[in-house]
Amino acid sequence: MMSFKQVTLPNGLDVIAEVNPQAQSAALGFMVKTGARDEQPEVAGVSHFLEHMMFKGTPRRSAADVNREFDAMGASNNAFTSNEVTCYWAHVLPEFLPRALDLLADMMRPALRIEDFDMEKKVILEEISLYLDRPTHVLFEAVMADYFASHALGQSVLGSRESITALAQPQMREYFDAHYGPGNMVLAAAGNVDWDRLVGWIEKAAASWRHLDIRRDYTVPQPQPRRRHIVDAKLKRHYIALMCPGPSAQDKQRHACQVLADVIGDHEGSRLYWALVEPGLADEADFSFYPLDRTGSFFAYASCDPARRDQVEDVLLAEIKKVIQDGVTEAEVLRSKNKIETAAVLHGELPLGRMRSICARWTYTHEYRRLEEELGELEAVSGADIQEVLRQYPCSPVTITTLGPE
Amino acid sequence: MCATPGKAETADTSATAQHQHVHRLANGLTLLTEKVPNVRSATMILMVPAGAALDPATGLGSANVLSDWILRGAGKRNSRELSEYLDGLGVQRGAGAETIFIRFGASMLGRNLAAVLEVYAEIVQRPQLPESGFGPARDLAIQQLDAIEDEPAQKLSILLKAQHFPDPLGRPTVGKREHLQALTADQLRADFQTRFTPQGAILTVAGDCDFQQVTDLVEKHFGGWQNPPRRATAAKPAPRGSLHITQPTNQVQIGLAMDSVPESHGQSILIKMAVGVLSGGMGARLFSEIREKQGLCYSVHAGYQSSKEQAAILGYAGTGPDRAQRTLDSFMVELQRLGQGVTEEELERARIGMKSRTIMQGESPAARAGALAHDFYHYGRPRTLEELRARIESVALADLNEYLAVNPFGPVTLVTIGPNALTVPA
Repeated sequence: MMSFKQVTLPNGLDVIAEVNPQAQSAALGFMVKTGARDEQPEVAGVSHFLEHMMFKGTPRRSAADVNREFDAMGASNNAFTSNEVTCYWAHVLPEFLPRALDLLADMMRPALRIEDFDMEKKVILEEISLYLDRPTHVLFEAVMADYFASHALGQSVLGSRESITALAQPQMREYFDAHYGPGNMVLAAAGNVDWDRLVGWIEKAAASWRHLDIRRDYTVPQPQPRRRHIVDAKLKRHYIALMCPGPSAQDKQRHACQVLADVIGDHEGSRLYWALVEPGLADEADFSFYPLDRTGSFFAYASCDPARRDQVEDVLLAEIKKVIQDGVTEAEVLRSKNKIETAAVLHGELPLGRMRSICARWTYTHEYRRLEEELGELEAVSGADIQEVLRQYPCSPVTITTLGPE
Repeated sequence: MCATPGKAETADTSATAQHQHVHRLANGLTLLTEKVPNVRSATMILMVPAGAALDPATGLGSANVLSDWILRGAGKRNSRELSEYLDGLGVQRGAGAETIFIRFGASMLGRNLAAVLEVYAEIVQRPQLPESGFGPARDLAIQQLDAIEDEPAQKLSILLKAQHFPDPLGRPTVGKREHLQALTADQLRADFQTRFTPQGAILTVAGDCDFQQVTDLVEKHFGGWQNPPRRATAAKPAPRGSLHITQPTNQVQIGLAMDSVPESHGQSILIKMAVGVLSGGMGARLFSEIREKQGLCYSVHAGYQSSKEQAAILGYAGTGPDRAQRTLDSFMVELQRLGQGVTEEELERARIGMKSRTIMQGESPAARAGALAHDFYHYGRPRTLEELRARIESVALADLNEYLAVNPFGPVTLVTIGPNALTVPA
């Protein structure tokens, strides 16, 4: 049977696991509560660059060793950096769990060698170029910058060519020392995991990790109504993004927000689907809930022919306004809940999916819920809960950023 | 073994027989099921051999439009009723035209499987194909062509396929703008009538499902499906060689293709292992030599792709214009170096990588439904995880190295998108 385990080590590292002896595999991950919002502007992009450098070896492993060892376990592994967290994970067969933990834990105390730093800087610059060729990414970064304005949440995760070129290795070391304290991290495991042994291994591996007092700056963002159009003559499509305030990742209303976002803008069967995609006005349209640490927002997106840009934007705004004025129907709420339930069950059937879920929830709320309990929370959402969200967050102020050829 | 009526045949497959079943309907549709233990979801994949290969010479993109239009109402339900019914069942779904097949995929809780099978039976046999839905479906297909222009990496993969494979295998499923603009609802309706056939269609169900129950449902809902099969157009040779598209991108997109042996060929496992050594993980050759040691790109990889008749190894790299030629040169060096053989360590890493992925996919109904369809298409039967594992373990270093020495990769088809053209090193 599935069971939940948790322990906090003396240095502050939280270790959690959802143990499922029937699983054929195990997933393991460190989530560090640091990202672009925790960077000073002069080191923009350092969180993400550091994430790459964590794979470049430790005092007892070279970069090639790290990569080879993951491959030798047949691991599916990767890492990602967001505005708020940096996560390193591996999905392995149960017999490789001790090796995977040894490697991941060792990586959490990296060497940050200067020659690796210089080489990886070239890779980061290429990654920035890659995303500059993707209009949806360019637009996303632009709308975040417009919405959050001078707040650190508006900073680009990748940084800019200029900030990365100027970044020096000692600045990265300083950032690492200030943010990778054990109390700022969670180690999560899911699947076929031997909990007692896992705790024994991590106690040993993390014994020398010094506790640090780390505090995130929780200055409240002050979004203002804004509108900006970016011209890129080489584009064929027009892209529209919209952001407005919503509840935070800690807010009890987040389940209602998930249902609301699905009703308005799921890629199938939503209000925006029927108003924009089904009639062929836009090839894509969605509305999503974007919860963050002690703040949150809603996000809408559409892409269309440049000739239809005004029409599509008008319809998009009209649909949102209609929901704010008239609410949603019980039938819509029920359909959306059913869709979200299926997605949660599918996600939850894989150890990697569960590991990510429990890890993120623990990082943001220090709570654990079994999948059935999560589904129960979703099931409890009523039309009245959604009305309350709409009353408190009536899509105002709104930031609209657009990108297109003219 | 289960007894079944009429000319239909049922067979179970081997050691894990309690989990895998095959049932062939009299009309030519093949059902494959696999029960995945300890899951509540089920995934259904329905593949109808009505893909872009059957598009008329002047109607390229028809399959793509049809894969949207066909969902806009079926049986008694109109477009909205159909969509709302599936949403009410919590179905996560997708549909799209591939080269050979039009593929429908649906994931749901196992308890909703019966209702969902009935809906898809309606969709493929009795779609409404309403006049009102045709314009938007065609318009969306045309918009897709523009969207691809804004995504250079996606554009590259479409161009590379067209450059390397003969038509219709290499043809872009998205179609041609002028053909799409000229396409009418009547033409596409007539096309549908002779296009959607159960002959060669594959239906797979994996996850929380009962074979006998699924078989009964499929016999009931799909058993009456009748349509004669239609042949694909004759093949036209592939252009091959090099193609460069000048475009002011930040990165040069580099795509390579080389012939290989098809999946069902006995030696395909050797190729896959070699591709694993080349690009199986972050410790593999391409990543380690081109990204880690030289810092030339962020994204560089290679993969194996096979249809029934023809297979290729496809390579990709994206990098700045000033480093693109060096990246291509390094890529070619790695391809040639494979001919000198791989080490036992490298082979072992490729083996364990493939084995782990196989076992881990075994936990996912969606992955298993896809694997059943893949295996039936290429091998004419499902393969068990044990069989896959044994095949992976059977690869010996001497056999692999001998194969690589005798069969060098190439010649290379090269497609690039970016400010400047590149040259394939001699």
